[in-house]
Parts: sequence; C-alpha cells; structure tokens
Amino acid sequence: MIELAFYKKLNSPSGQMKLELDLTFEAGTFLSVYGKSGAGKTSILRILAGLLNADAGRIAVNNNLWLETSKGINLKSQKRKVGFLFQDYALFPNMSVEENLRFALEKNGDPKIVSDLIALTELGDLRQHKPTTLSGGQQQRVALARALVRQPELLMLDEPLSALDQEMRVKLQDYILEAHRTWNLTTIMISHDISEIFKMSDQVLMLDEGKMIKYAPPHEVFAQKSVSGKFQFTGEVVGIEKEEVIYIITVLIGKDAVKVVADENEATKLQLGDKVLVASKAFNPIIKKLS
Amino acid sequence: MEWGPLILTFKLAFVATLFLLIVSIPLAYWLAYSKTKIKPVIETLVSMPLVLPPTVIGFYLLVAFSPSSTLGEWLDQWFRLQLVFSFEGLVFASVIYSLPFMVHPIQSGLSNLSPSLKEASYVLGKSRTQTLFKILLPNIKSSLLTGIVLAFAHTIGEFGVVLMIGGNIPDKTRVASIAIYDQVESLNYGAANTYSIILFALTFLILLMVYLVNGKQLKPFWK
Amino acid sequence: MNNLSGQIEQISTEGNLSLVQVNCEGTMLSAIVIETPKTAPYLRVGNHVNLVFKETEVVLGKGLHHQVSMQNKLPGKVVSVESGKLLSRLVLDTTAGQIISVITTNAVSNLSLKKGSEVMAMIKTNEIMLSS
Repeated sequence: MIELAFYKKLNSPSGQMKLELDLTFEAGTFLSVYGKSGAGKTSILRILAGLLNADAGRIAVNNNLWLETSKGINLKSQKRKVGFLFQDYALFPNMSVEENLRFALEKNGDPKIVSDLIALTELGDLRQHKPTTLSGGQQQRVALARALVRQPELLMLDEPLSALDQEMRVKLQDYILEAHRTWNLTTIMISHDISEIFKMSDQVLMLDEGKMIKYAPPHEVFAQKSVSGKFQFTGEVVGIEKEEVIYIITVLIGKDAVKVVADENEATKLQLGDKVLVASKAFNPIIKKLS
Repeated sequence: MEWGPLILTFKLAFVATLFLLIVSIPLAYWLAYSKTKIKPVIETLVSMPLVLPPTVIGFYLLVAFSPSSTLGEWLDQWFRLQLVFSFEGLVFASVIYSLPFMVHPIQSGLSNLSPSLKEASYVLGKSRTQTLFKILLPNIKSSLLTGIVLAFAHTIGEFGVVLMIGGNIPDKTRVASIAIYDQVESLNYGAANTYSIILFALTFLILLMVYLVNGKQLKPFWK
Repeated sequence: MNNLSGQIEQISTEGNLSLVQVNCEGTMLSAIVIETPKTAPYLRVGNHVNLVFKETEVVLGKGLHHQVSMQNKLPGKVVSVESGKLLSRLVLDTTAGQIISVITTNAVSNLSLKKGSEVMAMIKTNEIMLSS
C-alpha cells in the first residue's frame, strides 16, 4: 500500500501554487500522472524521491514511513528505495554503461542483477560504451536499467519517452512494462501521451494547478462519457478538412493515421492536436486475415 | 645566477597549489550549491585578490601575523608557527592570493553540471562524499586542471604579497620574482634577464598545455 | 454524430449481447450492444442513456408507411437541406428530437426532398451506440 498525503507551496511562473495530494493505492499499481506543464507533476515525483521537501504531510510505502512532518520524520533520498528516471537521463558521463549500473549496486549487492538488467534492456553490445556515444533511446534504456539495480519499491519516470520517436517509444514502453511486471514494481510515470497512458497504466492521476482533479482508470479519465462502442481508440487530431456538407477528420492513433467522417457540429469543436476518442460499433468493421 | 630562487618558486607554487586544491574543493562545492544569504559576501571575499593590489593583502597579513600581534603570538605559542618572513607564511599568503584562480573554475564546473547527476547519485543511495568524488569531480576534470594550472602559474608570478610578508631571505623567501627585482636594483641586468626568460618560458608552456588539453582531449569528457 | 436521450424501458440479454429498448420522448428506439447488465452497470431499466449514431447511417423514406426490416423509425419533418455535389445534409425534426441525416444528393432529388417534406428517418439497431 502506498499512502501519499502532502502539501507544498510552489513558485511557478504564473505565481504561487499549492500542490496538494491525498492518495492511497495498492503496491504493484502502474500509475500515470497527467496534466499541463506546470501542474506540479515533477514536484510530486521529487517529493517522493526526497529531492524536494514537502511543507507538511506523510508518505508511507509498504508500511515504511518515509515522511511524517508532524513527527519530524523525513528520510533522505539515499534511504528511500526509489528508482528515478530523470528527464535528461542523468547518466554519469565518466562511466561506461556497465559502470553506471554497477555504481548503483549496494555495498553487498549481487552483481548478477546488473547482467540481468543488461540482458533485459538488450544493452550487451554497449556495456563498455560511454553514455555520450549512445543514441537517445539507448541512453534511456541505460537509465531505466540503472534505476532498477536497487530493485526499488517505487519506480518513478519523469516523462521518459517524450524525446523519442514513435518506434523507439513503443519499444521502451514494452521494456518498462516488462520490468514493472517482472519485479512487481509500483511505478509512477508522468506522461502527456494518452495512448501511452492507456497502454501502460492501471490508474491515472489528473493534475491541474497542483490539485488532483481525477483519479481513476484511464478509460474513465479520458473517455468522459463511456460509450458502448467496442471499437475504441484514442488519438490525436492531425487534419480537419471540409468536404461538401461533411468534414473528414484525420486522427493519428499510435503510428497509424485513420480518417473519420464528422458532422459540422463536432468538427467545429475540434482543433489540430486535440486528443479524441474514436469509436465504432463492433458490428461495422470488417476483418480480413493478412497472408 | 643561482638556482635557489627558481627552485624555491616552484616548491612554493607546488605546495600552495596542493593546499589550494584541498581548500577550494569544499569551498567551491559550497558556493556552487548553497542558497544562503551570505553567499555573495563569501564570493566577494574569494574574488577580492583579483582586484586588490597584492601589497594590500601582504600588508594586512604582515600586520596580522607579526609576532607582536595577538594572532601571531598565539600561532607561535601553540603551533610554533611563524608566518612572517618564513616559507610557511609565503604558502599561506599564496593560498589567499591565488584562491579565486582555483575556486572559480571549480565552482563554475560544478554549476555547469546538470543538477540531476547529483540527484541521480543520491537516489541510487550514494552519500554526498561518494557523489563528490565518484561523480562530480571526475566530470569536471577540465575545470580542475584549469584551476590547478592557473593557481600554479599565478603563484609563480606573485611579487607584492611575497615581498610584504616574506621579505627577501635567500633559500627561505627569495623567490624568482624577488630575485629579479633584486638583480635589477643592483643593476645586474644579465642575471635578471636569465630569471625572467626562464619564468616567461615556463609559464608560457604551462598555460599552453592547459589550452591544448582543454581544447581537445578533455572536452568530450564533460560535454 | 446524432445524440438522442431517453430512458431504458427494457433489456433482453442473450449471451454477451443485449437488445436495449429506449424510450425517447415517447418514441421507442432499440439498440443492440455487446454488453450485459453485468459488464456495463449503466444497463439498468429506468436509467437515462444517450443514443449515439452517425448522420451517415440515417436512412430516409418519404411518406410515413414503409415495410422495412429497420426497427427504429422516427417520423419527422425536414427543417433544412444543404446540398453539395455528391452529398446533402438534412436537418430533421422528429418525434424523438432533432437529428441530422447525410444522404446522397441524387437521393434527395429522386425523392424530391425539400424543407417541410414529411419523412421517416430510420436507423439500424446495430448502428446505435449507447453512452451513459
């Protein structure tokens, strides 16, 4: 069980903001944090990791108290068993891939985990390379592997995939999911990508101006009205064209663009970049085996 | 010409640089990461030797450490340490005088490192000391080298402070710069020229090394 | 997207399929969904639901009496016609509410539909989605 309840005044570009969170969830949950930039998402992770102090509150992870301001308890980052994937990866440039992972080993840690992780993230060929010689996706894999060396109770990912292209993204999502399942991790991920959130998370925390506005499974958070259509996808509007009396909306779902006919009433409410739900009855699509 | 002053100069520069390194790493670390209000005051004090005439520093050190002063008397009694007209005094004065040359490169090296490196190390369970020696310092090698060489070269070139607090005692405080002045005073231009040329050539080579090394090899290490 | 609201009057379930009868302002409409009251809590008699279907799935018949298999028949009047070269968009006032139908311009001229024409709007049961 993970219990988070804390409060912190933050200085944001638009003035002061209160970050308030009160949330309890099962260990083993994959939780995504979604919200505009400046909503306080990263601050939540930093408070959990002990890199930022909450003004008041309590954090308990699997019955271990990490923070209880009323009792003056505030565990240092070093004492909290967390894995943290930084937005800029934060790989140590002076160490090779393998050294980066070994550095994370605890004093009496079993070095076998390092080779296991190198195998899981398919970094075998790169183990002697310095981080600066790696591509973004490779660096990301090293950072993920390094975050897992201590077998954290809480794995935190700060928008890990935003800088990667679609193909690399999908691959890394799979690595993260595999690690999440293999080690029974509790994972908290910040993401802007709704299809990614749908794919990976059990629960979504939607944040606005430091306030929790929704906490529910992805389909409840994003499909505001749940529709009975069995053929449902979320995607992003990438084209809006008027053809005579109807509109043709192009929606990017994953890496495929699909076209949907819409009436003026809906089309005029849409803008490029909007996240949308595309749904159809299961009766309509045809299915054909690919040879 | 005697070799004494030259040897003394390099001995002084070496010892002073060593002390500077020991003092400057914690000081630069504090300056790079601290957010306290007195930080600007400390930064200013560290930078003072850049603008103050060396004679001012030398003069105050002389006053402070003279055996007749309280501090000088206390040091002599408890540590048998005389900082006026002695090699130890020269080392101390040089450390003060060259402090900004060592602190500034290290401080800016640390500030330029991504803060997430330090945080990543903490989250991986490593202490501040482990983080400093295994992560931070190895990633600012070029800044460290710059600091070491600048401090070394600057100590070689000092004159005013040395003259004030060290005087001109052969093999004890008569460093090359003083020896040159001495030779010129006695119209011995030939000897002055020899010292000068050696100093000129050596400092040129040292600085050239920094630019060559920092320009080519070390850059890929930290960027 | 047409959107009509109504109240569930009857649910018949067979396996994973449910046929849901919805009362929309006195007109009965039916929708078939791959859900059961067990998998979708909103499937309960008396619940308010929205019926969602595409404009392009609305079939129009002129006059009011047709023998067709379609169960959902909404009598109404054409409020406006907007014609393109291939497609036309008709706004209809029906007994269940205002809906839009998009049909070919050929069909509009064959049936000589215009503002005020009395029509029967028909939607296949399997084209209607329910939304809570």
